[in-house]
Formats: sequence, structure tokens, C-alpha cells
Amino acid sequence: MEEKLSRVAKTLKPSPIQELSHLAQRCNAINLAEGFPDFPAPPHVKEAAVSAINSDFNQYRHVQGICDHLAKQMKQNHGLHVDPLTDIAICCGQSEAFAATIFATINQGDEVLLFDPAYETYEACIAMAGGIPVYVVLDPPHWTLDLDKLMTYFTVRTKAIVLNSPHNPTGKVFTKDELEAIAGACRTKDCLAITDEVYEYITYDLERHISLASLPGMQERTIITSSLSKTFSVTGWRVGWAIAPACIASAIRNIHVKITDSAPAPFQEAALTALRSSPEYFESLRREYEAKRDYVLKLLVGAGFQIHFKPQGSFFVFAELPVNCPLSDVEFVSELIRQAGVAAVPGCGFFHTNLSSLGLSQADQTYQKRYIRFAFCKSDATLSAAAHKMGETVDGNGHLKLF
Amino acid sequence: MQLSIAIPSANCSYLEMLSHLHCRPATLLTFSKSFQIYRRTKFPSSMASISTVSTEKAASSNQDQPTQKTHLPLQVSPPVPASISAQFQDYYILVRCCVGLSKFDSSFRFFVLVCWHSLKWLNLVAKRLEKFKTTIFTQMSMLAIKHGAINLGQGFPNFDGPEFVKEAAIQAIKDGKNQYARGYGVPDLNSAVAARFKKDTGLVVDPEKEVTVTSGCTEAIAATMLGLINPGDEVILFAPFYDSYEATLSMVGAKITSITLRPPDFSVPIDELKSAISKNTRAILINTPHNPTGKMFSREELEIIASLCVENDVLVFTDEVYDKLAFEADHICMASLPGMYERTVTLNSLGKTFSLTGWKIGWAIAPPHLTWGVRQAHSFLTFATSTPMQWAAAAALQAPDSYYEELKRDYMAKKAILVEGLKSVGFKVYPSSGTYFVVVDHTPFGLENDIAFCEYLIKEVGVVAIPTSVFYLNPEDGKNLVRFTFCKDEETLRSAVERMKEKLIRR
Repeated sequence: MEEKLSRVAKTLKPSPIQELSHLAQRCNAINLAEGFPDFPAPPHVKEAAVSAINSDFNQYRHVQGICDHLAKQMKQNHGLHVDPLTDIAICCGQSEAFAATIFATINQGDEVLLFDPAYETYEACIAMAGGIPVYVVLDPPHWTLDLDKLMTYFTVRTKAIVLNSPHNPTGKVFTKDELEAIAGACRTKDCLAITDEVYEYITYDLERHISLASLPGMQERTIITSSLSKTFSVTGWRVGWAIAPACIASAIRNIHVKITDSAPAPFQEAALTALRSSPEYFESLRREYEAKRDYVLKLLVGAGFQIHFKPQGSFFVFAELPVNCPLSDVEFVSELIRQAGVAAVPGCGFFHTNLSSLGLSQADQTYQKRYIRFAFCKSDATLSAAAHKMGETVDGNGHLKLF
Repeated sequence: MQLSIAIPSANCSYLEMLSHLHCRPATLLTFSKSFQIYRRTKFPSSMASISTVSTEKAASSNQDQPTQKTHLPLQVSPPVPASISAQFQDYYILVRCCVGLSKFDSSFRFFVLVCWHSLKWLNLVAKRLEKFKTTIFTQMSMLAIKHGAINLGQGFPNFDGPEFVKEAAIQAIKDGKNQYARGYGVPDLNSAVAARFKKDTGLVVDPEKEVTVTSGCTEAIAATMLGLINPGDEVILFAPFYDSYEATLSMVGAKITSITLRPPDFSVPIDELKSAISKNTRAILINTPHNPTGKMFSREELEIIASLCVENDVLVFTDEVYDKLAFEADHICMASLPGMYERTVTLNSLGKTFSLTGWKIGWAIAPPHLTWGVRQAHSFLTFATSTPMQWAAAAALQAPDSYYEELKRDYMAKKAILVEGLKSVGFKVYPSSGTYFVVVDHTPFGLENDIAFCEYLIKEVGVVAIPTSVFYLNPEDGKNLVRFTFCKDEETLRSAVERMKEKLIRR
């Protein structure tokens, strides 16, 4: 009965992240693969959820207060004027906000630009809507955007560009210059921009997250998607949003209503409390993640990985295998799970080739099998246990015996 | 009526747009003329730009082959704030005109809905959005709040779910179960769903391979459509139908054939079904117990449908969210009929059974080859479902039989209050065997259609019902019917009945 599957379902493959996760579970490995915390969510946010359930906030709801708070934050953080009544759609996580945005804007045959490497879900969403993903390469080792080459990716069919900053998997935070170039291209080519800003509050070393929508001429053509998940360590609550000009936000809202009808009601209530968190909360979030980043970087460098690029945001490190390591990323991760009992994600799943490959030779693309993503959104205990386990399998030079 | 003569070519698309609102030609003409005059006076220099832009964009959006698209530069002659880009100027003008016109005549407020269709015209928003208007439920709820009306429209309880389920969710939050769950469901919940399914139908399913947890049954429906339906596939629906079916089917580009269930008993017109179904049919969607009529598909009806599906190799998607609210008949699960499990996706949820509609826990049960498609789409629609609620749902599904018996008893008492009340007021009440809805014929009260009746009911009587015309492909089929719900506490139901007795006058 396989022929009963839709064309789109047949082209989608199970996530490599999830498969290795199952292996890691079977081997009881320390999970530095999947991007969610293993430490508790902040108490004030959990209490708000518990209180909401007890106060009977359990039926279909749209909590307008979330929109009010978000509008205030947009003003404070980015100087954006957002109308809470018309410009915001609350969805089941950023995942659904993104899916609804794609369905709201992308027609069959529309091209959508994505930066490579990219989180795997964007492409699948775009394909589901009949769009064509086109990858703009970020050049290793520092994942720089070639500003001159950027314009060459746009065609008459380009409808939108997707920007994930701070970036998963590299930890890059797009610079002001890069954002200006992207904004200029969008304005010139009259395209939409769809941003994924879920790591907006996780930036390091005095880097500030700049929202693309705050650049001149961008708010009217940008859809911002984000969520509670990473900021408040509640990835399982499924509360996210899309912020866009009124007509697009309404379209997104209407689609969301047909996909899931409403985000979980008690967690919408809890979102009110979360979004009112003091500046101290956000500051300590940053500080704690920065300490974890530094710890993991030290660990990985000591173990022989090449870290060309220090993450400036998100909670991932994209480390390159040492020059003389013969293994591919997938092979390495498998061995790391089996021998060291630590799980990470092979980078190949984040790299893509354009159907009309723009002249990259086979050799130029070998780097795509050389990167491993480590997540450090884990408790200090987990991170030191990982350090300890990897330490047991290192040789005299401090390098992993696997290499 | 030669509307096209009076209106420049750019506005032909207006006719298309407005036809979606099912306006009479006279209304269309009045609106178009007023719009033209208004636009000419307020935004004189925009006239040329709109015509050019609209025809270019309308042309390009109709072509499927990307290589044939020609993309002329947009005309930019803004009489509108310069900060708004060219694409949005037309929309801005349209909105301004509609708002301006609404000051002259309250009926023009309704035409602000035209903006939705203008989005297609402007190519800002995907073509598939023709079906994605603000829902009738939201509109009615907003009117209800404005007039302080008792809401017997939207189908959610005004009482809360059972304590033991809420406690389970709270415990899960406190225990730290707040991170991403496994995409297709927390194992405990998958097992609980499988166990309950076995109890209800006798069918044994593998929780790992045949159960997928989603954000409510709404998402299960969306994932099933996206995972199993191709553009151009024929799908059969029974009207009246829950509004997300049509919307998600149009999202996937399916060809919808609607078969109308008619009063008084809303039975399946077998001959019509036989001529509609063929080897080209991909799937048929069944909702039983049925929203809005309360009909429950009989064994006989299901057997006939089953044999047609087997004969023509058609898939069946069954939405069974009200299966525990079966009062006058037994609920029959299509998947349990011979030859049907391998081609059926059974959809259900927690919300109605446990009065927790805002938790968004639903699921799809299907054989592995169909489940795989559902899971693919689901993983890119929402990725994962609310974790603490899943744990609570697992506890809920282990509720003893006494919970379900009490649920039925409570609802039957509520139904009696409402149905008695509606009959005594003068509605023609159609028998409802299941769900917490009842449809009635409102024509004894002399209003022209269901929407007009519902507006009158809110403003003059202070009670909300849902106009059923939105549940049909052809709204004319539903204009005599409105839907009431009895998922409210008894006092609310009695108050609503009192208001209707006092103020609802037969004409």
C-alpha cells in the first residue's frame, strides 16, 4: 500500500538526528545531541502553568496578553512597532508558526532561499507547500556570507529568504553588515523574509541579537517566528508565535486554526508569567549558557577537535574532525556513542546541495562530512560526566583514541 | 447581469472574490460601484497602478510553469505612505476603502472580508488561502461578548475536566517532564491509546507503529491530509462538515466531492454515494458521531461504504472525537469492519471526552504504511506534542467505565434541558443521537437565512448559535439550519432557554 502515500510524504525521510538518538538511548549514552535542556525549567514559569491548570484555563483559548507582552518586547529590544491586536499569531511552537507561515506565503514553484548549513525542518516544510528550497552557502571555517554572491541566488521566482539567527548548528550570529546585505537584497528583489529567532536571548561575548525586521524597509516584509522553548527551557510546551504585518499575520492565524486550532491553553497562561520575567532572568540565562559554552569548547579542543569558529549564540558547537581523522561524521558519531558513551549529531544532515549546483566540485564539498554538532544545553553534571567519559578514551596527547 | 461592462478589467477578480462571500449580484454591483467611486476620490493616482499590478500578478499567479512567468516591475505611484512597499499599497488602498465605506452603510463592514480575497489577488498570500477566512466561531464569539449573549455556539464546555487528569498534568510539570516528547508520542500515551482502542473495538494495534500523537484531532486531520493526499486527488466529504476538512483539503490541492446529508434523519444517500465513488477516488472522510447534526452512521451505512471502498480501493479517514458521547445508538468504528483496518485512519482526541479542549492532545491510529505518511507530515507541522499533557492523557485514558457512564448521564440530562427548551420555543428540532450538538430549523422565526437568524438571536435574544451554512460547500444547503451545543452547565442551558422563551417571537 506504499503507493497510497502522497508524493510529498515519499520524499521525506526520517530525521538522522532522531535515529542516532535512538542508538544513543539504547547505549545509554550521554546525550549532547538533541537540542533541549536536561535541567529543570525555571520555577516561576512552572508554577504559573500549574496555577493555570488549577484555575481551569483548560479550554480552547487565545491569550491576548501574550501578544501585548510580545509587542512590548519588540519595542524594547528592537524598536519595532507591532500592533498586538493584528500582527501576532500564537502557534504550537515555532515549528507550527514556521509551517503556517510557509503555507501562508509559498505557492507551487516559489523559490525560498535558505542558508546552508540549515536546520532540517525548513526544507521539508517548504517542499510540503510546493516551494523550491535554494541554498545560499555559508563558507567554512567561519561560516561567512559572501555578500557579492548573495544576489546571484535570487531569481524571478524567489519569494522569500529564511534567516535563522542565532544559527543552528553553527552558533553564528549574523553581523550588522550581513543583515544589511540581506535586507538590501530583499528590498531590491521585493521578497519576504522569514526569520527563526528561537535563540534570540542566547548570545555571548557582548553579541546582541539584531532582528532583521528592525532594518529599514524590512518590517513590512518580514515574518518573525520564535517561541518560549529555548528561552525558558520548556521545549515540550509548544507555545510559539509569528509576528508579521497584519494581513500576513491574519493569514498565518487562520492557517494555524485549521492545523491545530489553538496552542495548549494552560501554557499560554504560563507564557504571560514567562514573558514578564525580570531582566535578571535573561542575564543569568546568558551567563550560564556562556559558562557551559566555554567548558565544552575547552573539552572539545582538548580532545583534538578543530574549533575554527567560537559560537556567538544558540547552544551548539559545530566542531570539525581533526585533519587526519579517517572517519566520516556519521561513523565518528556512531563510534563516539559506542566507545565513549557520548552522543552528538553528524553535521551532514544540516548540509544540502542545490538541484542546480552552482559549480561546487566534489572536493569542495567534502567538508560537509567533517562536522559534528554538540549541544551544551545540559546541566553541569551532564557536561562534566561527558568530559569524564571522553577523557577515558583519550590517548597521551589528550586526543580521542578514535582519531 | 453584465457586471463586467460597468467595471474595469482589474476588478473582474473582485467578482471572483466577492462570489466567495455568496453575495447577490445586486450587492456586488453596488459594492463595486461604490468602491470605484470611493477609490477614485480618495486615491486618484492609484487607479493606473492597481490595474497594471493586478493583471500582471493575476496572470503570473495562474501559471503553474515557473519558467513561463514574466515578472514586470511593479508600478509605484504611491498615494499612500511611502514606508509601505508597492505590494502592500494595493492592499492598503483596499482596506482604507472598505473602512471608509463602512461608515456609510453597516453592511459594508462585512466587505472587509474582501480583504482576504484580495490577498490572493495581490499574490502576497498563497492561493490556497481562499478557504482560510476567520472562522465563523470566532466571529460569533466576538459578537457574543459584545452583546453579553449566552454562548451555545462554540463547542467547548464551560465546566472543567476531571481533577485526576489535571493533577496528572501538574505532577508531570513538577517532575520536569517539560522538554520535547518523542515526535510521535510519549510511549505511555501511545500504549494507553492502543489499550483503549482494543477495549472499544477489539482491534489490537502496535502503539509504536500504528499510533501517532498530535496537537489535537485538528492536527491529526491536517497531518493525514498532507501525508496521504496528493494534489488533484478526489476526496469525498459528507456535508455538513467540520470546517477544517475543507480547508486542509484545499491546502493539499485535493478535488472535493461533497455529498449532502439532509434532514430529517441525515441518512447517507446511497445512490448519490455510489455514483460519486469510483476507482479515481482516493479517500472518503467520515465523521461519526457527526458534528453538527449529531447523526451516528449506522452499521448498515458503514457496511455499504466499506464495500464500496474495498471495491474501489479507497482510503477512509474517520473523525471519531465524539465517540464517547454516543447516546441513542452504539458507536461503530469503521476500522473494525472486515477488510477496513488496512485502509483506515482513525482519528480521535482527549478534548471532548475529558472536557479539556484547550490541551490539544489528539491521535491517529492506522496501519504502519499509512501511519508513516501521517508521521512525516506531523513532524514538520508541529514536530512534537505538549509533553506534560501527554502524560496526563495517558492517565485519563485509563479512567474506569464509571467515568464514561457518568459523562453520558450528565450530557443526556443537559441535552434534555436544551431539546425540551428548543421545542417549546418553536424550533423544529432534529433528533441528535450523539455529540453535544443539536441542529434545528429556524425558519418558523421568519428570518431570511441562518446567518441573519444567528445575528438576530445574539442581538435581540442574547443567545449564540452557529449558522450551519459554513459547513457546506454550497451554503444554500444549510441556510435553514442552525446548531446549538449543550456542553454547558445546566444553569447556563436553562438561562438560555428562558431568554429564548421570553424574546424569540415566531413570525
